[in-house]
Amino acid sequence: MDPLPLTEPVLLVLLSLAEQPRHGYSILKDIERMSGGRVVLSTGTLYGALQRLLRQGWIERFEEDMASRDRRAYRLTSRGRRNLQMEVARMRHLSKLASLRLAGKEA
Amino acid sequence: MIQLYRRLLYLYPAAYRREFGEEMTSVFSQAHPTAEQSFLPRAKFWQRELAGLLCGAAREHFHSFTGSYDWNASRRLNMRRFPRSTIVLMTVILVGVALTIEKARVVQIKYDGFSTTSVWDTFLGFLTFGFGVMLLAAVTGWAILFALRRTGMHRLSNVQTWQDHE
Repeated sequence: MDPLPLTEPVLLVLLSLAEQPRHGYSILKDIERMSGGRVVLSTGTLYGALQRLLRQGWIERFEEDMASRDRRAYRLTSRGRRNLQMEVARMRHLSKLASLRLAGKEA
Repeated sequence: MIQLYRRLLYLYPAAYRREFGEEMTSVFSQAHPTAEQSFLPRAKFWQRELAGLLCGAAREHFHSFTGSYDWNASRRLNMRRFPRSTIVLMTVILVGVALTIEKARVVQIKYDGFSTTSVWDTFLGFLTFGFGVMLLAAVTGWAILFALRRTGMHRLSNVQTWQDHE
C-alpha cells in the first residue's frame, strides 16, 4: 500500500504530469499557473519530489532529446495515475464530508 | 549566479548530484529572474532557492544515512539502539555528579572557611572544552574524509593489479 495523503508539492507534481509529460522547468511553471501563483516551488523542492516519485515508481523519466541530459522529461506511470486517482477520491470524500458538516452547523 | 548555484549543489550527496545536478542547474538558469527585474523578486527567488537547497540537501543526507525519508521511522529505529532508559540513567548519573560536586563544595567551605574557586566554573568549563574538542575532531575528520574522497583514493581498492588468464 502506497503512503497517502500526499504532500502538496508531490500532489501538484502528479497533477501537472497527469495532463501530459513535462520536463523540470515546465512542471515548475505549470504548478505556478495551476495554483494561481500561490505555490512556487524551488528547484530543490521540485527535484526532491521527483526523485521520491521515481524511486516509488509513480513516474518515469525519458529522454526528449538524446543529445542533452537536461531535456529529460517525466511522465506518470500507471501506478502513479492509480495512486493519484485514489488520492483525489479521498480528497473528494473529505471535501463532501466537510461541506455536509459545515452546512449542518450553519442550519 | 549559475556558478554559485553549481557550488551550492555540492551540499547534496555525490550520487544525487550526478543524477540531477545538470538538470537542476538548467532549470535554475531558466527560472532565474532577469536583470531587468527589481530587487524584491530576485531576493525572494534566492531566498526560496536557498531554503529549497538546504532542506533538500539535509533530507538527502538523512536518507543516505538512514535509508528512509520518514523522520519518525528513523527515530523509532534509533530508539531501538538507544533506548529511553539510557537517557534516564544518563540523567541520573549527571544529577549524581552535580550533587557530589555541590557536597564537596560545602565540605570545603566548612573546613577551609571559604571557597577559593567555584567548582561549577571548572565543571562547566570542562564540559564546554570537551564539547569544543569533540566538535573540532568531528569537523577535521569529516574534512579529511571529504578531501580523500575528492582525490579518488576510495577507488584504489577496486583496482585490479594482476592480469586475468583466460
